[in-house]
Amino acid sequence: MQNALLLTLFLPTLAVPFVYLSGKKSSRMPAFLIALICIINIALLSTTVPSILNGADHKYVESYYWIPVLHSSFTLFVDGISFSIATITLILILTAALFSINYMQEKKGLAEYYALLTLLSIGLVGVFITSNLMLFYFCWELMLVPTYFIIGGWGYREPYKAAFKFFIFTHAGAVFVLLGIGAIFMVTGDLDIFQAQTALMTANPELVKWILLSLTAGFAVKMAAVPVHMWLPDAHSEAPAPMSALLSGVIISAGAYAILRVSLGTVFPAVMATDFGSLFLHGLTVFGILSAFFGSLIALVENDIKRIIAYSSIAHMGYVLFGLSLFPFQEAITGTVLHLVNHAVSKGLLFLSAGAVMKQLEIRDIREMGGLVGQMPITATSSTTAALSIAGIPPFACFISEFLIFVGAFQTINNDNFYLLPTALMLVATVLSLAYALRFVGHIFLGSAKHEKVTDVPFFMKLAMIILMAFVVILGIWPTFFIQLITSVSFV
Amino acid sequence: MIEILDTALPTIVFILFSLLTIPVVKTIRKRKSGKTAFKVGWFSVAFIIATISVVNLASKYYAQPSPQPFLNITLTAEPLAMFSSTFLVDAVSIYMAIIFTIVGAVVFMYSLFYVDSDEKLSERYYSIMLIIIGCVIGTAFAGDLLTLFIFWEATAAGSSFLMLYRKTPKSLHATLKYLVMIIIASAFIVYGLSIVYALTGTLNFWAVKNALMALGDKHLLEIAFIFIAAGYSIEAAVVPFHMWLPDAYTAAPASSSAFLSALVDQGSYYVLLRVLIYILTPPTVMPWTFMFAVLSALTMVVGNLLALTERNVKRLIAYVCIADVGYNLVAITSVTPLGIMGNLYFFLAGGITTALSFMTVGIFNSMGFKTLDDFSGIGRKMPLTSLALTLAAFSFAGVPAFAGFIAKYLVFTSAIEANLSWLAIIGVLTSVVQAAYLLRLINYMYAKKPQEEAKIKEPKKLLAIILILVAAIIVLGVYPTILLNLIDPVIQQLPFVP
Repeated sequence: MQNALLLTLFLPTLAVPFVYLSGKKSSRMPAFLIALICIINIALLSTTVPSILNGADHKYVESYYWIPVLHSSFTLFVDGISFSIATITLILILTAALFSINYMQEKKGLAEYYALLTLLSIGLVGVFITSNLMLFYFCWELMLVPTYFIIGGWGYREPYKAAFKFFIFTHAGAVFVLLGIGAIFMVTGDLDIFQAQTALMTANPELVKWILLSLTAGFAVKMAAVPVHMWLPDAHSEAPAPMSALLSGVIISAGAYAILRVSLGTVFPAVMATDFGSLFLHGLTVFGILSAFFGSLIALVENDIKRIIAYSSIAHMGYVLFGLSLFPFQEAITGTVLHLVNHAVSKGLLFLSAGAVMKQLEIRDIREMGGLVGQMPITATSSTTAALSIAGIPPFACFISEFLIFVGAFQTINNDNFYLLPTALMLVATVLSLAYALRFVGHIFLGSAKHEKVTDVPFFMKLAMIILMAFVVILGIWPTFFIQLITSVSFV
Repeated sequence: MIEILDTALPTIVFILFSLLTIPVVKTIRKRKSGKTAFKVGWFSVAFIIATISVVNLASKYYAQPSPQPFLNITLTAEPLAMFSSTFLVDAVSIYMAIIFTIVGAVVFMYSLFYVDSDEKLSERYYSIMLIIIGCVIGTAFAGDLLTLFIFWEATAAGSSFLMLYRKTPKSLHATLKYLVMIIIASAFIVYGLSIVYALTGTLNFWAVKNALMALGDKHLLEIAFIFIAAGYSIEAAVVPFHMWLPDAYTAAPASSSAFLSALVDQGSYYVLLRVLIYILTPPTVMPWTFMFAVLSALTMVVGNLLALTERNVKRLIAYVCIADVGYNLVAITSVTPLGIMGNLYFFLAGGITTALSFMTVGIFNSMGFKTLDDFSGIGRKMPLTSLALTLAAFSFAGVPAFAGFIAKYLVFTSAIEANLSWLAIIGVLTSVVQAAYLLRLINYMYAKKPQEEAKIKEPKKLLAIILILVAAIIVLGVYPTILLNLIDPVIQQLPFVP
């Protein structure tokens, strides 16, 4: 199709008022509308697959008139990486919307909730399918505002406090991204990531260094890498479950994607050959290890059902950072991107399952739970699937991607001795992740039943979990499709 | 060919209508019905005629084969032309006239509904607003330093009447403060101008510039510069000369605060731009960039920190205005085409955003909600007005898809371009602070529990005007090309070589 990508952005934009109006009348209609939009968008994106797999430069580009004065055109593009992450994003939005039907049904202001969710989906998808930095920044911040209101309006305990923390942290990160983008514009006179890459090669390396640091620091905040992770545990645990699934599944992945695409893909090649280049990558490794250990260790001792998962997200972003630091090794990058995809579905599923448990029990402390496997079989299955995937157990999704990252790591050790110790440490961290995953499942679902008269969740929540469960298993057994797409992208 | 009448016509139209307003509006005082319709009609005629005159001027200017940067129109013929009062038409002044007319019309209509027409002095209020619009457009077309001074002081004097309108002790106090500051400022400016005149023998913009460029000993010019810069900085509320602004804007009725922030404030930035960039062009005439870089950093930091500690919402917005002065100065300081573009974009974007927030806050204030605590839970009671204020806050904070973002992007990028990265970093950090206190305001509006649950009826007519501005900040944020194309001719005529 000629305008497939433009439509993927405009369809939700046009749908916002309809979603809002239908939300005033019925509580289910808006969710179905969002689901419909997601399905149409997935179909639209799929039309680009042939040109990604068989095209000359393995990507599909559309460009429209926008702000010529700032050398910005409304450029949309997909390649293997963008396509994989954008598709998974749409699937997560779809399941989040379906899950909300039952999960949110007693809440007030559902029309606003679904309208915000639709608005959010524009930014979430847009950030992955544009190659213009200005448009990228638009979508980047468009993720922020609806998320703020969703967490604040429908979250738990002191939701606006968590939302405030989220907004200020990520906005502070974003302004550094903005500085970087401004500097790229100034140096290259262009805001297209592919053209800027070539132009930066001849720029002053000292300046490029600062651009790289500024951008990466900004993206790392969204990614919640230690030490800028402080917003994540609060935001993820206070948000309503569907929003937590999106936050953990997609929004932090956007940070990782941005580091890969902009920091490493566009700016890094200009300093790759210098000492600073390897220092930068080693820095990523160190922060990756810190995040992995910090997240896993706290997840091991945390008792709040959602905070465990939140800290596990920090740990997994640690793996991703480690994977990114192996740039530009093909296996490592493929593994990292695949891990973003797999982590998104697994973590989304885990958050939805946790939401299901919280909804039925109305408590959050896992020590007060137990034996739910008999009472909530579907939720128990989905939680176990997700937790095992998070722990990296075959045949579930995350195993393949973690495996690929480690293959990449071993290859890198041949070139750079530095990675010897980090790789060993990361292997230890995977053991930790198995520990907290088992603790999570054991406390909640095994042992003796502590609550009576608990039933499993209503239909749409089950449906949402089953859809994601299917993806976790399928991606674990047959990752070839995405691997094929992702390996079609070459960075250097 | 552009005649003197074409140039002066917008100003004349406004002044004429201003004079006619009092008798005309007085005649309908006694009428029972149709008062509002009559007034809307009367003022619409004023704005339509003014718009036609501005469009006429713009089309004549751009109809020239190659539009001259300094189209010099004098009252007297050669050889006395140098000493005569001069009008100037160039891309900047035309752009300013256009935005003054458009924004003036919107804000004016708001005041029309906001100020109760049965109030005793209402027609005087309208009349003063019209004359201020006229004067501020006159400022844009001034071609020598004296004409600029006269029109600008007239604007400032008119503003003081708007602040005084309610005649409460507080507003008297604030107006007094403002007048004292303005008088000091004008004394400074006159002193500076007299030195410039002594040095160059003229006050005509380009004659002054050329004479100053050829000047050997610049010591006297430095003294003159300090006085002129200080004077205009006081009027633009640059920190440390900002003290009058929060009081003045808080004491004035909401419609005047919106008006002052959208027109007079932007007018003062224009004056700074004209004097600093077009006459004292650095580095050839006067290397002032570092001094103003420091002032702008100070203004951003102080303005935002004061806003952070403020609990009165109207005053908070006034502090945001001060912070905006800082962001404008960053762009002026950079002396790059991108910076000037950012500046001109900021004139409109910042102007309508502050106007929008003063308008919404005005509605809240008139219902008795003044401090942050009063704003608790107001988002549920008055959803539309709150939404408008929220969007304005996001625009201030520089969140994309709103006009403020494009303005800030241009400003910070220009600072990087001018090797003032430290200023850009201070700028983005302060704008995070800005996001913080504006979010706190939003938090109060949506997160806190209201003191009483009852829904409040929102004023429909005022909301209609507010929605126009909301639409404007979204359109300018999503598709800034509309405005950037209008600014483009200015960039072709810059007085410095980029």
